[in-house]
Amino acid sequence: MEQEFHYAPFRVEAGKVREFARALGLQNPVYFDRQAALDAGYRDIPAPPTYTTVIDFWNERDFYQLFSQWGLDPNDMLHGEQSFEYGEDIISGDVITAKAVLTDQFDKKDKRFYQFETTYRNQNCEVVRIGRATLIERREQHGAEIAEHS
Amino acid sequence: MAQKLPNIHKDALAPIDMVRYSGASGDFNEIHTVPKVARQKGLKEPIAHGMLLMGWAAEAIEEWLPDRKLAKFTVRFIGMAHAGEAFVIEGMLTTDTTGELQIKDASGTGKLMGSFELI
Repeated sequence: MEQEFHYAPFRVEAGKVREFARALGLQNPVYFDRQAALDAGYRDIPAPPTYTTVIDFWNERDFYQLFSQWGLDPNDMLHGEQSFEYGEDIISGDVITAKAVLTDQFDKKDKRFYQFETTYRNQNCEVVRIGRATLIERREQHGAEIAEHS
Repeated sequence: MAQKLPNIHKDALAPIDMVRYSGASGDFNEIHTVPKVARQKGLKEPIAHGMLLMGWAAEAIEEWLPDRKLAKFTVRFIGMAHAGEAFVIEGMLTTDTTGELQIKDASGTGKLMGSFELI
């Protein structure tokens, strides 16, 4: 089984990086100050390690369209696991393309698990990130049990 | 050669922190910000985005090891985080290039477990 989803090309902008970094409370000046980024050896302001979320969600073809294509209600989904492999840096001004592939889907303990892998490339076709996620679909009847767990 | 890294303490999470992260990330799932929807979905209250915690964890690695760069970073979200909770990030360098970390609330309940590999 293999289902693919292509995000729209996404331009990384320094202002959006700053907003995302502030929302996380990040302190590293490279995310806020171009000169600090240059001094640290970057060619412009870099994206933080978890920035690909912004590429997934603030996109013309976004994660919600992916959910809809796969028939999932976003409010029923929990994030179980996430991993990243880091390639080239993602730098403000880059245009990132991304393709998600559903790699596995299985049921365990009355819950449905979805695993997918997203490969992100920059304008030079270099792989900048590979993200692997496990999402868990909660159905209504599981609510009480999960609320107790929390 | 395992080396314990200094604990990092996070202030109590406020509901507005989840609103701010929703806007910045674009993840507008209502279970994170709208109490009524969270309750309809069987949660007692809105839950923090897992990726908000992963973002903190990534920052902890940068703070512990400012001259190093991530090659790989993997986390498991093992508990839900809510407004009003404060967190501590604990980390350990297991070899020169690998480490582990956890985010716990004040009562010691785990929220995130992760491992990372540095270049």
